[in-house]
Formats: sequence, structure tokens, C-alpha cells
Amino acid sequence: MTGSKDFRIGQIYITALNEKMPDAVLDTSWQTDNQVTVTVKLNSLPDAVATLYYEHDGWLSTMVGNDERPLNGNYGLYYVLSMEGAEKCHVIVHAEIPEDSPEFPSVTPKVPAAVWYEREVRDMLGLQPIGLPDERRLVLPDDWPEGLYPLRKDTMDYRFRPQPTTDNETYKFVNDSKVETTVVPLGPLHITSDEPGHFRLFVDGEDIIDADYRMFYVHRGMEKLAETRMGYNEVTFLADRVCGICGYAHSVAYASSVENALGIQVPARGQAIRAILLETERLHSHLLNLGLVCHFTGFDSGFMQFFRVREKTMTLAELLTGARKTYAMNLIGGVRRDILAEQRLTTLKLIGELRGEVKRLVDMLLSTPNFGGRVNGIGRLDPKIARDYSPVGPVVRGSGHRRDTRADHPFAGYKLVDMPVHTQTGCDVLSRTLIRVEEFFDSIAIIEKLLSDTPTGPILTEDFAYVPHKFALGYTEAPRGEDMHWSMTGDNQKLYRWRCRASTYNNWPVLRYMLRGNTISDAPLIVGSIDPCYSCTDRVTIVDVKKARAKTVSYKEMERYCRERSDSPLK
Amino acid sequence: MSNEVAALKGRLLKSIGRSIYVYRVDCGGCNGCEIEIFAAITPIFDVERFGIKVVPSPRHADILLYTGAVTRAMRMPAIRSYEAAPDPKIVVSYGACGCTGGIFHDLYCVWGGTDKIVPVDVYIPGCPPTPQATIYGFAMALGLLEQKLKETTHVEGEDESVPLIHPGVPYGLRVALERRARRMAGYLQGRACAEAFMGALEAPEPAQVDMRITQLIAKEEDPRRAEIFTQLKLVFTGMLA
Repeated sequence: MTGSKDFRIGQIYITALNEKMPDAVLDTSWQTDNQVTVTVKLNSLPDAVATLYYEHDGWLSTMVGNDERPLNGNYGLYYVLSMEGAEKCHVIVHAEIPEDSPEFPSVTPKVPAAVWYEREVRDMLGLQPIGLPDERRLVLPDDWPEGLYPLRKDTMDYRFRPQPTTDNETYKFVNDSKVETTVVPLGPLHITSDEPGHFRLFVDGEDIIDADYRMFYVHRGMEKLAETRMGYNEVTFLADRVCGICGYAHSVAYASSVENALGIQVPARGQAIRAILLETERLHSHLLNLGLVCHFTGFDSGFMQFFRVREKTMTLAELLTGARKTYAMNLIGGVRRDILAEQRLTTLKLIGELRGEVKRLVDMLLSTPNFGGRVNGIGRLDPKIARDYSPVGPVVRGSGHRRDTRADHPFAGYKLVDMPVHTQTGCDVLSRTLIRVEEFFDSIAIIEKLLSDTPTGPILTEDFAYVPHKFALGYTEAPRGEDMHWSMTGDNQKLYRWRCRASTYNNWPVLRYMLRGNTISDAPLIVGSIDPCYSCTDRVTIVDVKKARAKTVSYKEMERYCRERSDSPLK
Repeated sequence: MSNEVAALKGRLLKSIGRSIYVYRVDCGGCNGCEIEIFAAITPIFDVERFGIKVVPSPRHADILLYTGAVTRAMRMPAIRSYEAAPDPKIVVSYGACGCTGGIFHDLYCVWGGTDKIVPVDVYIPGCPPTPQATIYGFAMALGLLEQKLKETTHVEGEDESVPLIHPGVPYGLRVALERRARRMAGYLQGRACAEAFMGALEAPEPAQVDMRITQLIAKEEDPRRAEIFTQLKLVFTGMLA
């Protein structure tokens, strides 16, 4: 779908690019009324992205590398910018890289937000970003063979497993501190994150001078799987399994990317049901995080209380979808279950109870004297750094930026509701927590509004045809922020390329700045405040560089220290 | 595993005389399993009342709980935590990915299920397993309950055949009704609506079918179901014309 000329949004950005860089723009095409792909010359790529980013209120949403050699002989790069200025839309800056010289000028020196994306595209497609300062791997394991790029179409079968070459991790961690520091490694089996991850804290005494981390321990190769073993209509269920906490948001993002690409109009009732379920998911996820904030600040009875109340949201999910988690509710073109009077009434009753109980708990939490002391001014994310790195969700809203995909680019049923966007200017753990509290009550109001006013008609359309090589974006606001999916159909009822970017991906790079200047005992709290979740616990090795000795303490000890703040494990 | 360890393992649970310590190893899960384990250890389900306690180090563990398909990068950390736990130990594989590798079983960065790297004693399937399934799985691991699943095979008898549903409704009409109901209300509720509607079609005295359908719609208290029945009526009258 190219969109009729009258409704095309985003033309002002194309005009601006043409004025600033004559001859740079080669082509423009609209995927939907508010998604435009601009093809620029490869050498103009950094300038084009930087212009849109800094001069026109653009934020980097994702970057997609695509092996398009079988289609047109080139690799494709797509920098997706969420334009949140005068005209709200998505502008996708596209450049082609010739097959014989797989390299491109790095955007990172101009727009730091691109750093993880460019490291990833080097890992997965072997496209070299020239000028990217960080030479390390991001996604692939340390012992993955050099020169084997999983997402190239001609390199390997999706089942190919190279033999392991080493039993030890060889990743190099970066320490920018000027003074001598002690190293505190955490993980990979450990603490506050969704996935196993390995953290290195560089400390001087109790103070964190710098931090670095190695993620992607759970890289499984989903994007390759979606292109090979699965049909495009089955990937909604794979997308459900991207994340066990906000999987439904991924599923909606994926389904809408294909719907946008193929021009499918999802019936209004299906859209409303998607929004209701997304908010149900937000309810459970925000209660989870509120519980964990209690836990990390040593208020364990609050943690247990929040988890007790959270069970109501799980009951709600089970009532509406048949499953407590991993809803499997989406099809391309709509949803798989309706909400009848029976479910509607029970839902209204349950969220009424939730509103009262959570209000009481939040009042208790905020009036607990030592809570304020533990979260006020801790884990500060400077608004300028937030601007440079494009974080999403409560993390960016807690630093004063008004970004919420539900309001900026309404999708699914959010066109039917007035979406409030809350921001806080404290930039600390407290701000992020308060935003989650406000959003929790918003979610209840949205569910009530959509249930009282649900559009009638079907929930599913099957009136569409699969068209080869169409691509578009799909997006949602997950509890942790914007999820961005880019899908391109193939010619065999499968996907040619699926790029799935989870919200936390954009939040990790700023964590380093949030940790700096705080004490070790606040580290779990700060990591928890970006809301990856606490999945496993393990050891913490503390290496004292000055004394040249190593000491291992359990993560529990670290966490205990975070809660009690006495008897430092470093002594 | 040596015979000695096996014998110790058999005795472990009977003679332990204290709470059972569980250590969780996430070797590549999506976190859905972790979240349900959380639900199982917090109020409402509260496995601690059975003396099951989650501990922060494998060195304290009696049971190792593996979740997620084993990824390439987590292979060594997962093996190290197995080796760190003292013998005798029980390994529980949790969730579809833990049991078999699940949807990710054959991917380039995945090693398969837990049993590809360590010996597994109990499997708790589900995506993710519910807290009830978790508690049941632990009860089995602890020898408190027997396994409920029993394999049975049905052999078709001589005169046995599967009866057609709604033989009185023409096949084409049935398909059209079921399809419209599914688009209106999905597989589960749509099917229930189509069944109710076809029941009204099939009742004796075909001459009164219009009246019965009108009654079905009029009597329905749920406005949404009434809307669906009205749509099905349109399909029916459309087919007649």
C-alpha cells in the first residue's frame, strides 16, 4: 500500500532532507500513510540520519540490515526514525551496500543511539561500519567462528551448529575511568535481568566509576527461524515467545507489521481487543516491577503484597485469553477470541478490586520512610544522554521526555481512547517507579473505556492475499517501552526478513551512565529500575585490583547488601 | 552416574529431614517460566509451605531447576552450575524449551533441551507451566505424588465409526455458519455460538425454524451473542435465497 497522495504524512521531512542535502535522496516510497522509506546515497547516510534525529525531533527506533542480494544484488540498511516533531510518523532512511564491498559509513559518531545496531549488523550480516569505535561482538557468542554470518542468505542452514572452540568467555570489557578501580563482575547466571547477562562494575571503594556488560547469552536465532522453518502466519506465535513478560506486545507488533505491509485492515473490534490485552499485560508487568522495587529496597513484605495482588491480573489474562502467559491470541488480520458479556463483567469486577488494592499498597510504599531515601536521586539518567541514546518507555519518560508510542503513533485500539502521557523530571529510580504507578491506573481506565464502548462487528478478517517482497513497520508500546518490528514478505508464504527489536534493547546502552556515580549497593536497584526482570541468581566475583586478590561472594550477598546496606562484602 | 550416587539420590528425599533447596538456572528462557516460578513462590500459591525454598547458589541446592532452551553461550555456565551442586542432586527441566528445546529446538545458537547437557530426572512441560503444574511437578520430584499421565491407545472396533455432527444441517451451510461465527467471535466462543444456532436449526418441525431463530435472538441476554446470532441468521437466509 503506498497511501493516497492526500494523506501522506512525512513529506516535510523529505523536503527538509532535499534542501539540506541536494542529490542525496534517490527515492521515496510510502508503506502506509505515515511510514515513508527514503533511499539515500550510502555516503550521505550518517548525515541524513543525524539531520532527522537532531533537527527534526527524530528518535532512533531500530535499524534493520537485510541481505537483498537475491533481489537486487545489494545489502540494504534501514534506519528507522520515529519522528515526534511537527508531523508524527516514521521515516526509514534506507541505503544500499554493494555486494563487493560490504561496508558502510558508521552513523554512531553522529548519533550514539546507533551503536548497538551497528555492532549487531556486523555480527549478523558481516557489514562493516567504518568509523564505529566499538570493535567487539554484540550478539553472537564469543566462540562463534569468524566470518560466519547467520543472516546472510547464502552462508548456512539455520540448523548449522559450529563445534564449540572454547569453554571460557573471551569478551573484553571497557573501563573508561581515569583512576584505578576494582572490578566487580556479576553473572551471567545472576541478578536483575530478563536474560542471563554478565556485568562488570568498576569500583573505587564503594563507588561505581564505570560499568560494562555482556548481553545476548540467550541469543537463539529467532529471526533466522522466522525466515526458514515458519510460515509468515505462524510467526505471531513465535513473537509471543520473544519475551515471557511482554510477549503479547511483540505479537501485536509483528502482526501489525505484516498487516501494514499487505494493507490489511483489521476490524475495529479486533483492534480494541488487542489494546485491552496489551493493557492487561501492562498491569501484570508493572505490578511485577513495583514488587521488585520493594524487594531491592529491603521492603520484602511490600514485595509479597504486590505479588499477591498481581495474581488477579494473571487470573484476568487467563479469563480473557485462556493462558496466564504466552497468550497466542493474534492472527494476521485479527484475534482468536472475543470478549462476551461474561468475560466483560468479570473483568470489570477484577480491575475494580485491583484499583483499590494497588492504591492502598502504593500509598503504603510511598509513605514508608526509608523507601524515599533509597530511590531519590539514585540511578540518574541525564535527559541529554537520554536524547542521544533513544531509550524508551518509563526510562525515557522518567527523564522528562514525552515519548509514548500509544500517543505518538496510535495503533490497535488506542485510536479510540484519549491517551495520557506521564513524565517526571527527577530522572531517578523514584521517577521511573512513579511513572509505572500512574500508568498502572491509566491501564485500568483504558480497559474500562474499551470494555464499555467496544466496537461491534467481526474480530478477524481473512480477506487478504499474500504479496511477495512487501515490507513495513509494526510497533507497540510494551510495558518497558516501544517494541519495533520490521517485516518483509518473501515469495514462499514465509518471511524474507523479520527484524524484531525489544524495548529493553534501547535501554541497555544508557544503563552504564545510570550506574556511574552510584554505590555498589544501589546497582541491583538501578538495573531493576529499567525493568529487565529478576530471573536468576548467581555469584559475584570481586577482584580488587589494588590488592591483587580475588574474592567471590554470592549474589544473595550483594542483594542483601542492597537491601540492608550494612556489612559491605568488599571489606 | 555411579550406582552409589543413584542410591544416594533415591534416599535423598526420604532422609533429608529439612526443606528442599532449589536453585534456578536460566539457560536461555524467555522469562515466561521464571515469572511463573515467581508466581509459585509468592503468596496465593506459596510453595514454601511445602518446604520448597529457592536458594541463591548451586552449592546449597538439592534440586536444580533448568529453564529455557540451552543456548550456545549458556552451555558452559549451565554445566558449571550443575557441577557446583553437591551430589546427590535432582535435576528438573522446566517448560517446553527446557524439556525439548521447544520452538527453538533446532536453531544454530541452541543446544536443545536441558537433557542434551545434563541428566534430567523430572520434566515439567508447559509454555509456561502454570503454578499448579509447577507444584505438581515438584511433588513428583519429591516422591510425594505418582505421575498421573498414563499412555493409552484406542483401537477402533469393528462397528465403530465417528458420527457426523449436525447431520440435519446441510454441509455447505454448516461450513458457512462456522466460518462466520469464527470471524465474529473466534474459535472458542464462535464455535459455542454456531452450536447453539445449529441446535435451533435442527430441532423438529422445520416449518418453525424462522420463529425458533427469532426466539433464540430475542431470549439472548448478552448483546454480543445476540449480534453474532443475527449475523448467523443473515448467513442462513442468504443461503436460502
